[in-house]
Amino acid sequence: MTGLGGGPPVRGGGRVRSAVAADPAEGTLDLVFPAGGRVPVTRLLGEVAGAGGLGVGDERVRDFLGAFGRRLLSPALARRHPELASLGFFLRPGELARVLDGVRGGQSVRVPRGLVFHIPPANVDTVFAYSWALSALMGNRNVVRLSPRAGAVASAIVRALRETLDACDPEVAGAVAATQRIVSYDRSDTVTAALSAACDLRVVWGGDRTVREVRRHPLAPHARDLAFPDRSSFTVVLAPAWLAAPPATREAVADGFANDSYWFDQAACSSPRTVFWVGSRAADCDAARDDFTSCLALAVSRRGWTVDAAMAVEKRVATYGLAADGAARSVGFHGNALASVVLAGAEAAPRRWLGAGTFAHARLGSLAELAGLVERKDQTMTHFGFSRGELEELAGVLAGRGVDRMVPIGSALSFHRVWDGVDLPAEFTRLVTVLP
Amino acid sequence: MSVFTLTEAEREAALLPRLVALTERHRRSCPPYHGILEAIGSAGPYARVADLPWLPVRLFKTHELRSVPEEQVFRVLTSSGTTGQTPSRVYLDREAAATQPRMLAATLRVVLGERRLPMLIVDSRSVTRDPTLSARGAGVLGMMHFGRDHTFALDEHGRLEGVSVERFLARHGGEPFLIFGFTFMTWLHLRGLGLDLSHGVLIHSGGWKKLAEQAVDNAEYRRRLGEECGLTRVHDFYGMVEQIGTIFLEGPDGDGLYCPDFANVVIRDPETWEEAPPGVPGLIEVVSTLPTSYPGHVLLTEDLGVVHGVDDGAWPGKRFSVLGRLPRAEARGCSDTFGQAVA
Repeated sequence: MTGLGGGPPVRGGGRVRSAVAADPAEGTLDLVFPAGGRVPVTRLLGEVAGAGGLGVGDERVRDFLGAFGRRLLSPALARRHPELASLGFFLRPGELARVLDGVRGGQSVRVPRGLVFHIPPANVDTVFAYSWALSALMGNRNVVRLSPRAGAVASAIVRALRETLDACDPEVAGAVAATQRIVSYDRSDTVTAALSAACDLRVVWGGDRTVREVRRHPLAPHARDLAFPDRSSFTVVLAPAWLAAPPATREAVADGFANDSYWFDQAACSSPRTVFWVGSRAADCDAARDDFTSCLALAVSRRGWTVDAAMAVEKRVATYGLAADGAARSVGFHGNALASVVLAGAEAAPRRWLGAGTFAHARLGSLAELAGLVERKDQTMTHFGFSRGELEELAGVLAGRGVDRMVPIGSALSFHRVWDGVDLPAEFTRLVTVLP
Repeated sequence: MSVFTLTEAEREAALLPRLVALTERHRRSCPPYHGILEAIGSAGPYARVADLPWLPVRLFKTHELRSVPEEQVFRVLTSSGTTGQTPSRVYLDREAAATQPRMLAATLRVVLGERRLPMLIVDSRSVTRDPTLSARGAGVLGMMHFGRDHTFALDEHGRLEGVSVERFLARHGGEPFLIFGFTFMTWLHLRGLGLDLSHGVLIHSGGWKKLAEQAVDNAEYRRRLGEECGLTRVHDFYGMVEQIGTIFLEGPDGDGLYCPDFANVVIRDPETWEEAPPGVPGLIEVVSTLPTSYPGHVLLTEDLGVVHGVDDGAWPGKRFSVLGRLPRAEARGCSDTFGQAVA
């Protein structure tokens, strides 16, 4: 979902903390930021309830985020965790200013929502930082629930946040420490219920089941949910354009596609699962698909993406299953890392995860045929070979039936302030109408 | 007559035409299987057993795979393996249902002899009576066919019933008798009995995961049961519901699992999928001529194993060990990986 970057895949190793399970009766949690320690949820809420005085685009928060971003871009850290460089890039002062510009103007005064409770996914380690940073930038008090299963990247982020806090101006540190909390707790209805009841906005990432689970806990009447459920993504390539592209372009696009796909084992909601080949001639589509697969196999081996035996078996189970269902006409393997499935028809495009590095291919006569295929669940459409006009026309034809993002191949994982069709900075604020 | 007679070369020669015929039969009669072979481009002729297309065993959990019309299905076997997982479904017609216990009996005859032996079961009777029969319960029920005068060593709460075991031994302890249980249960309960089991033949199965946690391997298991109970005839076995009737049985010397004449194993390198040489671990592929009503004759398991030797042990053919199970692949993605952890 986040963190396009260079370098080999980085697997989460360490855990954020050992996380003693919170006692449900007590409702305690582990504080991870600004300091460590174990606190009852009621005390935590008491601490952040009155804290504040932050405004939208508060200078102190901008200072802090800028310093945090610079720390993430330090060569040592960026080398070890390339996805942190993407986050650091996102937090540059100029970028933050652009975000703020995006919500400025109009007749109303924009104000923070208040207390925002973030529940990020366990396995995409950087999402919580984007979600939190944008909300903090908008002047909110935040409680971020970090999974005890979060990995090494999450640990590195927390460490960098603490170091930034230690190093920054006391006034900035004071404002951040008073209003921002990162916590960790294992299953605890009491804690989730208390945080849900207290917040003004709840942000839930990480799949249908998580969203359903969290929704059991009521919000205050005025509060609202921002939910990011399971999504699925696909790619469209204009076959003649692919065939006409120079080798260097094809190589670069294949690299970008590999990045989009392999970074989070192809399970990020914006990673493509099906590639639609658009062309009026079947032979073009087949030739383009075969050439693309060869380029992709090279890109994958250049970058050293591999899968282990368990993943290799997973992919066999998934692809053989598609063949057994009659959905796949052919199943081919370029080593264990890359599996290609030629679908019996475009309507068989799988939405579910088929294992890291498994791509279904189908042919479309024209881009407009997508209108009959797209579902609400479809999030990102990465593309190659189409003009802005063609893509805008398609967006109009789709009319919100699905697809929230159309971005070039290689940008699937780049975080943007508008995510899943939601303008996050706008959602993280309210408008006060002022008529003189 | 023993079913542990064929050398590797003889076995290859005997199995190849029968397995090829089964491949073609299932290709004709099982449309999903046909679809898979088409998609992966697998067409004969097949020169070696190792060239035959394999199915991942998990497909029996996700798909209905049968080569007989629905009205000819005589029994549907299900087994969940691990709790919470979708069970495998294995479809037997009348013929397959009749063959599998017969071949299992033939396999066990080599260690149990011709007659049914008195049988001590290291488990509680309740596992066989659970309406949702567990794999353990099904295993016990299946083995009970091979014994008589069944005595359960554990009470309903899983506690050892020393008195019943003593009574059993008073009746049968001086002649050959059968002991059956899951590997971990037999380790847990037999050693504490302090009774002479030297006339017993112990058949056990179920895997070494729990014992490995206690740093107990097969050699230690055999040594201690020998020292503490006088058990010298001890046979582990490996088998799965997806190849019902076929078991790979530990030889008398404890030097590996052996294949009955109608089955074999191919250890595959999970990177190249080629057959791994003896001594090199890989994924276990099991082949058997018994699955006639469903395409389970060539299956890739999710177990890791290694061949120790070929035609060099007590019985001919390959001897191998199961080293453990592949972990389930986990993705790093953002979907639903969080559900159990929150709230």
